[in-house]
Amino acid sequence: MSGPVRPLWCAGIDVGSSSIKVAILHDRGADGASLSSQVVERLRRRDPLAVVDSALDQALQQAGRRRDQLDYVATTGEGEKVEHRTGHFYGMTTHARGGLFLDPAVRAVVDIGALHARAVLMDDRAKVLGHRMTSQCASGSGQFLENICRYLGVTIDEIGPLSLQADKPETCSSICAVLAETDVINMVSRGITIPNILKGIHLSMAGRYLKLLTSANAQGAVLITGGLARDTGLHAAMVELAKEQKVPIDVRTHEESVLAGAIGAALWGAFRARKLMAKGLSLTGGTA
Amino acid sequence: MTLASLLQRADDLYRDLRFSAVRDWKQRTGGLAVGYMPVYVPREVLHAMGILPVGVMGAGDDLEIIRGDAFYQSYICHLPRSTIELGLNGALDCLDGLLFPATCDVIRNLSGMWMMQFPGKYVHYLDVPQDFAPEVGGAFYRHELEQIAGALGKRGGKPLTAAALRRSIAAYNENRALVDGLYELRQREPWKVPTAELYLLLRAGCVLPVEEHSAMLRDYTTAVRAADDRRPMDQARVLLAGSFCEQPPLGLIRTLERAGCYIVDDDFVQIHRWIRGPVRADGEDPLQDLANAYLFQGIPSAIRYIDQQVKGKDLVDRVQQSGAEGVIFCAPSFCDPALLDQPMAVTAVERAGIPWTAFKYAENTGQFQVIREQAGTFADSIKLWSE
Repeated sequence: MSGPVRPLWCAGIDVGSSSIKVAILHDRGADGASLSSQVVERLRRRDPLAVVDSALDQALQQAGRRRDQLDYVATTGEGEKVEHRTGHFYGMTTHARGGLFLDPAVRAVVDIGALHARAVLMDDRAKVLGHRMTSQCASGSGQFLENICRYLGVTIDEIGPLSLQADKPETCSSICAVLAETDVINMVSRGITIPNILKGIHLSMAGRYLKLLTSANAQGAVLITGGLARDTGLHAAMVELAKEQKVPIDVRTHEESVLAGAIGAALWGAFRARKLMAKGLSLTGGTA
Repeated sequence: MTLASLLQRADDLYRDLRFSAVRDWKQRTGGLAVGYMPVYVPREVLHAMGILPVGVMGAGDDLEIIRGDAFYQSYICHLPRSTIELGLNGALDCLDGLLFPATCDVIRNLSGMWMMQFPGKYVHYLDVPQDFAPEVGGAFYRHELEQIAGALGKRGGKPLTAAALRRSIAAYNENRALVDGLYELRQREPWKVPTAELYLLLRAGCVLPVEEHSAMLRDYTTAVRAADDRRPMDQARVLLAGSFCEQPPLGLIRTLERAGCYIVDDDFVQIHRWIRGPVRADGEDPLQDLANAYLFQGIPSAIRYIDQQVKGKDLVDRVQQSGAEGVIFCAPSFCDPALLDQPMAVTAVERAGIPWTAFKYAENTGQFQVIREQAGTFADSIKLWSE
């Protein structure tokens, strides 16, 4: 007869191109897992590995744990260079798992990061069944929106609320990150208001993501994950466009969506830790 | 020598497309240096004649091909282009000859081009038997070795004596045992022996005298055994198949390791492991012992006749022996021997229930993002969904 399942503490570290996300997870086996602490730290031209260290320490402090008490340190995104990781998981794998954790009804996520977006289909275990990804061009991604912010003199957090105020969105002719400046300057000189510029851009991006999702055969509930999941304007534009175009997709977001990769990494870390323990193997010296 | 300085030395040798180590050796000893193309030549014969065998493994991703492309159609692999380029830019002028083992038609074609381009140099297309009966293939192969020894003797090599050949066989036996030891250590503790490091060591063996290379392998083995800062990570154990001729860029190997794979067996620089186990070093007729080793101790390979019914069996055996959890078919683009065998190998691993994935590369591939994603998700699928 086996004894009680030992709770595990796992860290998920999502190294993105503009921010580091860390999630500390308390996994209690069959009793489920809960998010113990979380940190999102913008890189702001700093060394990503140094930011990983400080963000991890900050998250551990919030969770009341130490590094040597972690059973698994899982990285994702560009986290392959984090030396103290136990293992690394790929973005599709972790965003699917994180998405399912945040919203058990979803069977697809659209991960929108600073440099690209991808639609990931999964089953009820978060096993990836297929995916579609945008090209290497940064068009219509977070980097593009950051450029727009600079041109318009608004902060990234203001984009969503401003976009929601639009009354006559201006169609954006180009979502090329490089040509955006010209477009936006033209719009400003024509007297288009900032909310209408932003809503136009959001609608343009939303159309792109809906195409990505439909080409991946996504249906039903879809969760936005990644850095742009916090953009309420983008979410509203996707919902609006899906309804208008009669696309059978229920676009959702979650307040922790931006952490989906880190959460998914931590969850898979716990899964692997238990699998290794069942084989009598242990890679770290964590204690319950 | 510290581990860092040893690896730096191996890295310098790998990146030196002027073969300075070979030039230095020639200046120091006054001996001949004879190159060889992948996959296998009996280096013992050259060594016994006081000749430095030099592996020519292409130019990797460090050389712009200017003239080499004019020699080959677009559907030919990259190795002969960079080899021609190295020849025409003078990098290989330190070689007194070049051996072209029967790997594929492209290598045979290259041997003809070499004869025309470098008429003063010794060129030999080393035809190898596909009939492994000693009285047929053995006699044929022995004759090939005698031809090489005779020709190189006329060009300044020392006469081939049985005593010298026995010593050379012993030197290469030791070298093979050291390489095998590192492969075994990597299988047991892959975090101790990153494949990118092991690969650099294998490449160093292409330009260093065997005694110096063996010393390097010994030093490395001692250093990594003691390296307690190298700790295990949760990575998928994979076998990399198909990279036996044109070599992948070092960046690709590093990419696979960073993508979550422990490479626990591979086909890189296969000359070091072509012969399984030691060659008899105390026989009356060491040349025959070398020929017998080719016949009976050669590894199953895409460039060696294997009956269709058992193709792929060796790969499955290697997966089981190495404890690999999956196979990555990683072959050069347009590599006929690797790619023509791949369907049979895939059938064999599928039949054995072994997960696999496949991609192709060229020695000068510079972008690894797609490979990184593919290998990474393959590693994820092994870790999460394999039993």
